[in-house]
Amino acid sequence: MAAIEESIKTRNISKPKTVPVVNRILDFLSSVRFGVVLLCILVFLSILGMLFIQQNVQGFETSYALRTPAEKLVYGYLGLFDIYHAWYYSGLLLLLSLNIILASIDRFPSAWKYISEPKLTATRGWLLNQSSNAVVKIGGADETEIAQKIQSAFAKNGFTPRVAEDTIKIYATDETGKKDFSRTESKKSLFVFGENGKLNRLGAYIVHVFLLTLFIGHFVALKTGFDADIRLTPDTNPAIIRDFNLNQKTDAIQLIEINLDRQERYNVQLPFTITCTEIEQKLIDPNGSIEINNTLDWRTQIRIDDPVYGQTIADVSLNKPFSYRGYRFFQASAITMGSASLMTLELKPEAGGQPVTVKLKRNETATLPDGTKIAYSTFVPDFVMQGGQPSTRTGEYNNPAAILDVTTPKGETTKVYAFASKLPDDAPINAPKAGYRWHLAGYEKSPLAHVLSIKYDPLNSAFIAWYIGGIGLIFALIFVFFFSHKRIWAMIERTGENEFEVVFAGHANRNHLAFEDKFKTVVESLASNKVKEF
Amino acid sequence: MSRLKTGLKTYRIMEEVSRIQKEVFIPRDDSAYTAIPAWRSYLPVILAIGGGFLMLGARLQIGSGFISDTALMMLALAAYLIAALFELTNLYAPSEMAKKIGLWSATLGVFFNLASWLVRWVNAWEFELVQLQASGNDANPWIFRYIPFANLYDLSLAFAFGAGITTLVLAHRKNFQFLSAFTLPIAALILTLARFIGGEHSNLMPILDSYWRPIHVGVASLSYGVALVCFAIAVVYLIKDKIKVEAMAIWASIFSLSVFATISGFSVFTEGVYRAGTFIPNLTGGKPINALFRLELPYVGLTLVGAGLLLLGSIIAFLIYIYGNKGIIKQEKAARGEFEDKLSLKERIGEIKETEAVEYIHYQSAKTIGHWMLRGAFVLQIITVIFWVSGIKSTSDVQAKLQAQLTQKPAQYVAVGKEIANKQQLSVQQMAAITPQQFDQAGRQHFQQNGGKMYLSLNSNPVEFAGLLTALAGTFFVILFAFRTDKLRERLPSLESLDSLMYKTACLAFAGLAMLLITGAIWANESWGRPWGFDSKETGALVAWLTYAAFLHTRISRGWKGRSSAYFAILGFLLVIFTYLGVSYLLPGLHSYA
Repeated sequence: MAAIEESIKTRNISKPKTVPVVNRILDFLSSVRFGVVLLCILVFLSILGMLFIQQNVQGFETSYALRTPAEKLVYGYLGLFDIYHAWYYSGLLLLLSLNIILASIDRFPSAWKYISEPKLTATRGWLLNQSSNAVVKIGGADETEIAQKIQSAFAKNGFTPRVAEDTIKIYATDETGKKDFSRTESKKSLFVFGENGKLNRLGAYIVHVFLLTLFIGHFVALKTGFDADIRLTPDTNPAIIRDFNLNQKTDAIQLIEINLDRQERYNVQLPFTITCTEIEQKLIDPNGSIEINNTLDWRTQIRIDDPVYGQTIADVSLNKPFSYRGYRFFQASAITMGSASLMTLELKPEAGGQPVTVKLKRNETATLPDGTKIAYSTFVPDFVMQGGQPSTRTGEYNNPAAILDVTTPKGETTKVYAFASKLPDDAPINAPKAGYRWHLAGYEKSPLAHVLSIKYDPLNSAFIAWYIGGIGLIFALIFVFFFSHKRIWAMIERTGENEFEVVFAGHANRNHLAFEDKFKTVVESLASNKVKEF
Repeated sequence: MSRLKTGLKTYRIMEEVSRIQKEVFIPRDDSAYTAIPAWRSYLPVILAIGGGFLMLGARLQIGSGFISDTALMMLALAAYLIAALFELTNLYAPSEMAKKIGLWSATLGVFFNLASWLVRWVNAWEFELVQLQASGNDANPWIFRYIPFANLYDLSLAFAFGAGITTLVLAHRKNFQFLSAFTLPIAALILTLARFIGGEHSNLMPILDSYWRPIHVGVASLSYGVALVCFAIAVVYLIKDKIKVEAMAIWASIFSLSVFATISGFSVFTEGVYRAGTFIPNLTGGKPINALFRLELPYVGLTLVGAGLLLLGSIIAFLIYIYGNKGIIKQEKAARGEFEDKLSLKERIGEIKETEAVEYIHYQSAKTIGHWMLRGAFVLQIITVIFWVSGIKSTSDVQAKLQAQLTQKPAQYVAVGKEIANKQQLSVQQMAAITPQQFDQAGRQHFQQNGGKMYLSLNSNPVEFAGLLTALAGTFFVILFAFRTDKLRERLPSLESLDSLMYKTACLAFAGLAMLLITGAIWANESWGRPWGFDSKETGALVAWLTYAAFLHTRISRGWKGRSSAYFAILGFLLVIFTYLGVSYLLPGLHSYA
């Protein structure tokens, strides 16, 4: 035992060369295996995010309220209520990006070498080990003639041919055909190599470039921009604006930051003023409700007053956003309290005579031939008097009425209610005012307000990310998966007078079955006598 | 010990080399690889698509008197089932006639499927046109507003078409025509689900009126279809690779048990009853409204419990068979001196004792018992479906029956009251302020107001019924695969070609899902200025895409081919199904319409 220990101690053991720690870390970070592990973790966390209602999803408040204090504490600490913005999720995405970059850097040189310096020659054994191979007899005067035939067959089938000559060392054989491993022989062979779609080998790198463009662009958009909402109404009635928390004209928008069940609001000053001049809702059935299932389109007309660039008038429709100085305005939703954008009034003169029809737009005034001025005040969909003031019971068009400020030719101003429903002539509220009996003959339905979503993206990063990165990624993936790199070799060996044996072999990195068809076509077009096929 | 390890490693390498040699170097059956030349091999595809568009032309010419899209969908369903039946017959009892009928039935199925979708496009246009004209609206929206990608019914129709056309394209190689036997039953299940979802037209949500919708949803349905075919190839690969049918049975039974456990608000295994959802007619003529109350169907719960117990029994029996058998095989190998991981020296040199031989017989008995239990479960599942359908069809006085059941179990009132409150989107404070008595009261009030209008319909529980049918189909296929399995394996193409095709379809599914994600993000950016919001459907599609990405990358990094890839393909498709159905029905989000 002691002797053994002694021998171990005295033996001069050479230490294995150690790889520097930095290299080992880089190798680890650039390994595809690491990338796959990251993908699996991301899949797991994303599924968790689907199962736990996230704090920006409708219904979160209720589900959060139903959780026990312990659940709130533990899940909140783990970031499960906002998993996609948790530090570890972002960290994983960052690591994945790093992995993609390092893996690409690590593997690109060899991929480039693979296509720039293709393997033009090979041994017979190597060729016969390829998934597609065949040995055929071809007749011809010399190797050059055979090579030309093969070249033209390759070219006809879409392969770019190249001819190469190589001297291969092989083991000599004895009389019985057995290999004699003590002797080698040199053998000259002529090769024709053809390939198609070699750039496909670089497809994965192109995919990675676009994927990184997408990641980085999206990240920059998140960091440099913000999202906000603005509730716009063309109605200038201060009571309505106050009661429904609306804006008719503003130079500030409110950012909402959600933190579990709390919403924090921040005011952001705009470099211009927005004024809502009109909103419209195109309905399928104009007599139906203004609910979403009876709507064809929404349109908000806004005016921008910019101290630098002057005035701009723009429309924001569904799926047709409007961009201005890095801000994009989108239709988000509507406050479906009934209102009207255009009213048709039927006025019966108190003194008798033909009724007068007046079309009155929201916020506008009209003048009658006798000099009476009618100014829009407000519109109520379900009229009711509350505390001596006109109000609405619901948002539905149950009892619509236009409230107007009318100035007589004498200069007296009075409040007038024009109802859509036919009221008895002797009803006090239907009594003639300012010389006319007023009736609301028609109105174009529109909601009280539209909610516009505003996206600020000063660098257009979202556009770069999704249009350049995203669409580029689609094309790159099509390029990678719908095409392939096909290679084919032919080794020409003389077997007799005017007789040659050609070993064909080939492979493709994708779509092997189609390649096999192509390979067979090439071989069959050349073969005068097929020897064998594996 | 280290020698043992080295020996083990060498043994594994040799085994792998031998496997590869067998797969790669064994001369292949040339006829299996021969493609029918040129365009003729794609004739079924050309005819199905061309025929579909001719039907569209005929619909435009003939008008509303033309065959309805629902009837065409049912024809597609029938044709898919016939095609699958004949292809299965051909696998077990090869016949050129069965093969031809299978191929042309599949063609017919794809033709009807496409025709149904195209005719539906015209029907949707006319549906809204009638409303516009009736109300005197002269608006003339563009035709792509009506493209049938507006709800889950439309998507299901397109999904089944995606699977059908992919199967037909692959069938241009004769040796892949058998795939119809595996893909078309799933496509038929999707169409069955569509049938129960109901194809009533409804007005389009304005936000969906974008040219990105046909691009985004079109890509979704095609890539889902390719993922389905990839899944079917993975299952075929596993059968060919001699995976134990009993292992498949365990997974299929676990799936069935989870379906039974979760349907009817978890009442099957907790109360032994199944309650079907009820409807109230929609006065505006659209889809009926969910009445929120569920009515107990007689015997359905009991048969489901019975089927569940038998499935559980079969799982236990198969586990005993697989793991017990594994132990015996280990010891047999040890006795032969073959190296096996984690075997003690004693085990290696031991001999099979008599008692172990008895154990072996026990394990075989477990297998037999497991299969009988599985067959029993299958029969009970059929009976369940019969009870389910007859229960729904024969129940007329829903109000009285529901009243009687609610008197015994009034808890449903509170649950319905809570659902009503949830639908009103009350704030947390408002919800917290409502007492259980108030919820109960709200439920009772809802019943009083609507009880007389409530009715049962086959369409009131589409996902539950589709789940039951899928469980039934899963059990059926496992029983079928257990029958003459070796003959079936012989008829399937080589592992190499199946693996290659699985890889190819996974690549297409991966590229398709990438297109789906990107077009969806661009559309969202155009509509909301928010390309990515981790909405549940977005995340579901992302998760499925990442799974396919992992599938493709494990091939590069770890050389995972064959069986490992097949497991990934199965997982990927399950995630696709979860995105397609689970997200729409279970999770809140922007895509809840589809």
